Amino acid sequence: MANAISPPKVLTGRRRVSPAQRRQNLYGYLFLTPWLIGFFGLFVGPGLYSFFLSFTKYDVISSPVFIATRNYVDMFTKDDLFWSSLSRTAYYAIVSVPLTVLGSMFLAILLNTQLRGITVFRTLFFMPSLVPIVASIILFKILLNSDFGLVNTALRGLGMQDPPGWFADSRWSIPSLILVRLWGSLGGTQMIIFLAGLQGIPTELYDAASIDGAGSWHRIRHVTIPLLTPTIFFNTVLGVIGALQTFAAAFIATEGGPNFSTWFFALHIWKQAFDYFNMGYAAALAWFFALVIVALTLLQMRLSKRMVFYMGE
Amino acid sequence: MAKNFSRRQFLKTMGITAAAGVLAACTPAVTTAPSAEKATAAPAAAVSGEKIKMKWDTFRGPGTGWNEERIKTFVEKNPNVEIEFRALTGATQQDNYGKMYAQFAAGDLGDIIAFDPSHFQFWRAIDKAVIAPIDDLVKADNTDLKQWYEQFIGLQKYKGQMYGLPSWGWAGQDTIVINAVQFKAGGLKLPDPKAHDTSMDTIAEWAHKLNQKGNPYGLGMTFDESHLVVLARAFSGDVIDADGKKCLLATDKNAQDALRWAYKMAKEEKIMPRPADVANMAAALLDGKLTMYWGGSLDARNFKRGIKDATKTEAAQALLPKRPDGKFPCQLRGGTWNIGKNSKNAQMAYQFLKHITTLEGCVGFNLVAGQGAFVRPDTVAELIKNDPIHEWFIPNLENGIPANAPSNSRGKEYNDAIAAYATKMMDPNENIAFEKGLQDLHDNIQKVLDMEPA
Repeated sequence: MANAISPPKVLTGRRRVSPAQRRQNLYGYLFLTPWLIGFFGLFVGPGLYSFFLSFTKYDVISSPVFIATRNYVDMFTKDDLFWSSLSRTAYYAIVSVPLTVLGSMFLAILLNTQLRGITVFRTLFFMPSLVPIVASIILFKILLNSDFGLVNTALRGLGMQDPPGWFADSRWSIPSLILVRLWGSLGGTQMIIFLAGLQGIPTELYDAASIDGAGSWHRIRHVTIPLLTPTIFFNTVLGVIGALQTFAAAFIATEGGPNFSTWFFALHIWKQAFDYFNMGYAAALAWFFALVIVALTLLQMRLSKRMVFYMGE
Repeated sequence: MAKNFSRRQFLKTMGITAAAGVLAACTPAVTTAPSAEKATAAPAAAVSGEKIKMKWDTFRGPGTGWNEERIKTFVEKNPNVEIEFRALTGATQQDNYGKMYAQFAAGDLGDIIAFDPSHFQFWRAIDKAVIAPIDDLVKADNTDLKQWYEQFIGLQKYKGQMYGLPSWGWAGQDTIVINAVQFKAGGLKLPDPKAHDTSMDTIAEWAHKLNQKGNPYGLGMTFDESHLVVLARAFSGDVIDADGKKCLLATDKNAQDALRWAYKMAKEEKIMPRPADVANMAAALLDGKLTMYWGGSLDARNFKRGIKDATKTEAAQALLPKRPDGKFPCQLRGGTWNIGKNSKNAQMAYQFLKHITTLEGCVGFNLVAGQGAFVRPDTVAELIKNDPIHEWFIPNLENGIPANAPSNSRGKEYNDAIAAYATKMMDPNENIAFEKGLQDLHDNIQKVLDMEPA
């Protein structure tokens, strides 16, 4: 038998491509071209230019002046708001991401039941995610106004003497923003992804678990959650990236206040760039932050090898 | 097609093309400053009979029709001129300065522009050679500068040169705006709106008497730069020195007394609304949630205009007390109409500047464009005919105190530092002793003043 097996041919040099294949490749590239132009012109090009700017002093009006790594050194040594905005952003992400992911998952589990009119509930829960962030922030600013808002009026009516100050109180401002995020995203895209994940779980597994005597909780614990781990992982990665980049909510609701309590890192970058025109410094902050996000994403991917279960593996 | 067209080659070609495009787009436009000769010389186009084309970039007035009316009436007098009005519509006024800087960098900033001193962009724009001086044009035209209030002409000057003609302007944060209905219901007698005879102690006394456990509050106050400066000035102090290099809060006892006056009510007695809570004092006054707030006489006028139910709201004001040096506590606020440094039609642009700041232009700027432009005595006289409340403005327009600006043109940072640390100091939710709050505020202002020039 050994003689019957010929050794594999080692391919050397270029593979010959037929003219028809070449033409087909060219068409492929041609169709890719609009996207590639956008990718290089609007993403890679400006990205590289901002990397160059991060080593300069640049105020938009004058030409950039090369200052080597001074921006990077200054951010760690001279910027009072650097570490505080970073830790504030981390706090926001650490609290909001698990709440959003777990909340969306359990909402999806609830909405995955075969009840009459369940699509109405799904629609109702999905609707807040369609409200633009600006509108939802303004809505919550009115609702949560500490003196005249509906929420505190109701709390006072219930006998609470000193209800929370919400956006006006530095102790409550981040929880208030998390509340807005939960309202807008619990029933949103993440829930839809979870619903899709849930509907991809074979019903035979539930049947088998039921025959083995598993109740509702055990079916969720031992069937649903393990098989949803890829979805949980996906939503967590996107959730972390989204939470770290939080800007609009803080910008509209509090502009970083009160007392810097919602001064997130993305807002810090924006203030440096567009309020103070320290474009070079803002570019350095942005590159540092991009590296932090990439590092965190890689860490999550590494951890996922232990925690995520892919069916069929 | 003899050669294979590989993915790598394709990407390489695309990358080089895109990089070349990006580099070309990012190359700064070469800009040159026009000489005084160029600015004062008769426009070549006017001589040759060609159309003079100018651009007017502004965020003041768009949508009201005032800008178009000014262009139309100017072109009627100067048929060889064509003016393109480009409205700047950033979310905030500060956004528009960023846009104008970007336009300048791209070589596309208009001939007629506006960088307002009270937004701290005027001096930066001059230092960066964005705005052209107009002294030669004023001299050549023999313009009578006395037609504007001297205070507002003063705002147009920097480092010995003049850079614009007055646009908007008022005496900022010089009064306590009052809802007279609630005030009288509190058993108090209204002060004379034109007199400076209400003491700071009396204002505090009113704030206590009128506070109904927050429903309504007696007095509301924001702690931004313009208010804090006038608060300090009401006690004959100031926040920074006239050179814009030194913060005075740690050493000026008068300024400290001023801050203590507000701290006591805002923080210790908690009789003022929380700083971030009432974002819009004017709206709160109209809604009856406040009886008084610290603003400017322009706010008193706007409050009067906004009244819908005269049985519940009526406009009144109490001007801040005259200081021992005879000055009235305020910080003159105002803007400028400027000529872009790269304008090729500086002379015609200057004529247009004059056209929009005449009596007619200025009255329209107030009544049509909705701006608070009390920069000319004759305009104020016209506005008094329209509404006698404008008479309340005159004393401070004639005897106001200009702003002190950071010498390093870091006005936005200066503003932000005051707003953040003064608000923090006065926030009843923060556990900050007066001395600590004062020191933090002082240190952070000084830190801005010590920054390298913008």
